[in-house]
Formats: sequence, structure tokens, C-alpha cells
Amino acid sequence: MTADIDNAPVPAPASKAMIAPGRRWLRLRSMLAVLATQLVVLAAFLAFWEYATGQNKAAAFMFGSPSAIFKFLSQMAADGSLLRDTYVTGLETLLGFFVGNCIGTLVGLSLWYSRFVSRVVEPFVIALGSIPIIALAPIIIIWFGTGLISKVAMSTLSVVIVALVTSYKGATGVDPDQINLLRTLGASKFQIFRKLVVPASLTDIFAGLKLTVGFALIGAIVGEFMSSSEGLGHAIFKAGSLYIIPKVFAALVATIALALALTFAVGKIEQLLMPWRRQLR
Amino acid sequence: MTEVSVTMQVGPGAVAAPAPPLVVEHVAKSYELDGGRIMPVIGDLSLTLREGEIISIVGPSGCGKTTLLNTLCGLLAPDAGRIRWHGREVAGQPQNVGYMLQKDLLLPWRTALGNTMLGLEIRGVPAAQAEDRCRAMLDQLGLHGFADQYPSTLSGGMRQRVALARTLVNEPDVLLLDEPFAALDFQSKLLIENDTVKLVREGRRSLLLITHDIEEAVSLADRVIVLSKRPTRVKTVYDIALGGDRRDMMAARQTAGFSDYVRQIWADLDVVLQ
Ligand SMILES: Nc1ncnc2c1ncn2[C@@H]1O[C@H](COP(=O)(O)OP(=O)(O)OP(=O)(O)O)[C@@H](O)[C@H]1O
Ligand SMILES: [Mg+2]
Repeated sequence: MTADIDNAPVPAPASKAMIAPGRRWLRLRSMLAVLATQLVVLAAFLAFWEYATGQNKAAAFMFGSPSAIFKFLSQMAADGSLLRDTYVTGLETLLGFFVGNCIGTLVGLSLWYSRFVSRVVEPFVIALGSIPIIALAPIIIIWFGTGLISKVAMSTLSVVIVALVTSYKGATGVDPDQINLLRTLGASKFQIFRKLVVPASLTDIFAGLKLTVGFALIGAIVGEFMSSSEGLGHAIFKAGSLYIIPKVFAALVATIALALALTFAVGKIEQLLMPWRRQLR
Repeated sequence: MTEVSVTMQVGPGAVAAPAPPLVVEHVAKSYELDGGRIMPVIGDLSLTLREGEIISIVGPSGCGKTTLLNTLCGLLAPDAGRIRWHGREVAGQPQNVGYMLQKDLLLPWRTALGNTMLGLEIRGVPAAQAEDRCRAMLDQLGLHGFADQYPSTLSGGMRQRVALARTLVNEPDVLLLDEPFAALDFQSKLLIENDTVKLVREGRRSLLLITHDIEEAVSLADRVIVLSKRPTRVKTVYDIALGGDRRDMMAARQTAGFSDYVRQIWADLDVVLQ
């Protein structure tokens, strides 16, 4: 009974300390190589852009240039509008992202409970999902005004269906044998939901979260296009209508930074909530 | 017909002795296929599992062994017949029955300990007490020191041991195992068979084991039941009388009668290459 199994005489808990220094260095080195290559590609692209637009006034006007974009960025940073606009759009996006994912995920997961209800709901979900959100913008503004709420509503609407569909897919994808096992252990439907369906859906839910960061941002910016007095969408729209192309790009850079920051945060939360996936490596 | 000899042992008008843990009488089960066609899978099947007994069930591939097991533990409803646990018909899942498949079905987000605790947690056993019992069970199955690892970091044999611990820690009277060791290499398989038999015999539990491995069937069991092709019924029952220590699978395989049983059952299965 105490026989050693599978040639593993020594209990070997997989911890950070187990990774030999050599392997850690190898992993670090491959990470650095990827990063360095990315930087080189980016630098080459920027250099080409700068060079090409430097040769030609018309091209510089049409396409901006990295140096002009940088000039606008530092100017916007100095007068405080960069921070302010990023904050406004970030808040709208975050609220829409949060509300939309909460509602979508809750509904999507709870549809697991009833095959009947989910079949009733299915065509409605597909219908709602096929509406281009931008078509709703004028109505949203009539209903919610031109302030924060209308942007949050736009952002929420862009997110909610995707969150619903991905979490429902996760919940219904649970291995039926695993459900049977819990049933033979005497689990109630709620226990199966809580101990099996919800954690098993986390992978799909997080895939949805990462996808919807972008959708939430698009929703907020489209809302700002329609009517607003601040925010990155507002800045892009205003600079665009005045033909100040480098300023459009400057606001776009801030938008991209916002998207990257949010995606990074979601990834961190995923790592925290799903520690068993870290041990895989 | 040979199946009669099994049913006759305990009839409906049973005696005063405590009812056997499991009595199956004339159970039938069919599936409805997509076109609405009915495919009978279990024809007419009866068997009795006595207290402390180990029965192996072998049968041609696809004859309905898994269907039988799922019907017994209430995951599927039989079309006809009666299933009595300790003399009583139960609606839904019977209590004190452990169920284990070839797939270990460990939850990847729970450690070995967390997986083992699943059943006790569901039944509301206080966490500290459940943890003590589970750690003891893992130790007993040779998993000392692995309790806090996630399944993804364990080998196939160790994962199946965790699955066995998860089943046994609930102290089931009856274990229903569906090819639980089929995916393991020969050495791991022998070791885990030994441990399973030891724990089953020590705890006076009963075991119904479905397997494709005739040698495994003979070395573990007190009786081997051979099922016919679909729609399946009991074809033959073999009482396995091997001398020596029945807890030692290697010794059992070396006893005089062993290979005779294996040969007979093999012939009885009339396996054909398709
Ligand atoms: N849910 C289902 N719906 C329809 N047919 C099914 C279903 N489950 C199993 N079957 C069919 O019933 C038959 C018996 O299946 P079962 O899994 O019980 O066989 P088995 O004896 O366990 O096979 P194996 O030896 O391969 O494990 C097979 O022909 C299978 O295709
Ligand atoms: Mg099977």
C-alpha cells in the first residue's frame, strides 16, 4: 500500500523554487528576444513613416508623422487634456465593460439551468446580437442624454451579448460525465452549478472578457462621436473634422494604450483567479 | 439458461437474512436514435451482488456495459425491471454507492486534496474533519506529499489513485467501476488493483467491476459475469475459485486454475475481428 508509485519516490511539490536557475534564464532570454524583435519592428515602421512623410509636404499633411504625433502628445499632456480625455473614456469603458459583462455572464450562466428557457431565449439573443450598436446610438442619446450614462449604455450594449454567448457556451460545454459524477456524489443542481459549471466556464468567460475590452472601448468612443464635450472619441472627432491628422493619431495612441492596459489587467485577474493553470508550465 | 442460476439465488420473496446490497431483476434499456428508431441495448438482465463480493463483468465491445452501470446508479432510468439497493427500490441516485470511470474526471481547478474532498463537501461534512479523512485516504493510497498538487502535475496512475480516493473516502458499501484501470500501464495497474481489492475486502464492501481485461476480471473477482452481444443479457456466470491470497493480484495470476478460467471466458466471449 505504501509502495512508491510511478517512479516518484520523493514528493515533489511544483513550486517556483523547483525551477532550476538555468531554465529560468532560458525562459527570460526567450522573452527578451521576443520583446527586442517587437521593438525593432516598431522602430523600423516609425522610421519609415517619418522618412516618407519628411520627403513630401502633402504626405505629411495626409498621414501625419511620428514626430508630429509626439509633439501633439506632449502638448496634450502639458495642457492636461490627454489625462482628462483618457480618464473620461477609460471610466466610460470600464463601467460599460463591468456592467455588460456582469449582466451577460450572469444571464449566460444561468441559462444553463433550463434547457427550456435557453431555447426560448435563443432567437432573441441572435436578433439582438445582429443589431449594429452604432444604429442604436441616436436612440441611446435621446433616452440617456449626452453625458456619461449614454456612453456607458453604448459600451454595455456592445459587450453584453458577447459576454452572454461566451459564458453560455462555457456552461453548456461541461463534460456530461463530470456532471454525472457529481450527481452520484449526491450533488444538487445548485451544487453542480457552483462547484462545476461556474469554475469550468471560467476559461470561456475570460476569453470573452479579453474580447470585450475592445468592444467596450468601441462602444464608448462611438458614443462620444455622436455627442460629447470630452473624451478620446471627442478629441479624435474634433481633430479629424479640423484636418489635424497628427492629433487624431495622438488620441489614437492614447486609446491603444488604454486598451492594452485594460487587457493586461484582465490577464492579471485571470492568473489570480485560475492559479491551477500556472502550474501547467 | 445460465442466467437463471443467478436470479434464483434471491427471489422477490427473500428470506430473513439482510438483503444483498444490489439485486437487479429483468432490467431492460433501449435508446431512441435520431430517426426515432428504438435500439434495445440491455435485453433482459438479472444479477445479484452479495455483501463483500467482487463481481467482474466482461462482454463484447459496445454491448451495453456502461449503459448498465449508468442505469444501476440511477443516471438512466430502466425501461423495465427492478433495481433494489439493500432490498429497496430508490428513486434517483442510490446512497453509499461509489462510481468511477476510465476517465479520472478530476476537476483541474482543485488540488488532489480538493478533488478527494468533493463528496464530503457535497454532503456537508465540516471542512476540517473532511480534510483529515481525505489526507488519510490519500496517504493510504500512496499519495503522501501530493495532496496539494493540481491534477495537471500528476501522472496518469496518480490521477487515477486520486479518483479512487475520491470514491473510497465516502465509505461506499458498493463500488461501481467502469474500466477504471484500462488506461494505465501494467505495473501501475497491478499496484492499484491490489490497493483497491485490499480496501474493498477490508471494508466489507462490494464491487462491480466492468473490464475488457479478462485477466484482470479473473484475478480480482469472486464471480465473473459474461454478457452477450446487444441486446445484452447474462450469458454465463463463472465462480472463480483460486487458492491462495486473493488480495495479491500477482499471486492470483500464478495460481493453477487461473489460465483455464481466462481461456474459457475468452472462448465464451466469442470475440471476432471485424
Ligand atoms: N446516449 C446514447 N444514445 C444512443 N445510443 C447510445 C447512447 N449511449 C450509448 N449508446 C449505444 O449503446 C450501445 C452500448 O453502449 P455502451 O457504452 O453501454 O457499451 P459498452 O459495453 O460500455 O461499450 P465499451 O465496451 O466500448 O465500453 C452502443 O452501441 C452505443 O453506441
Ligand atoms: Mg463502456
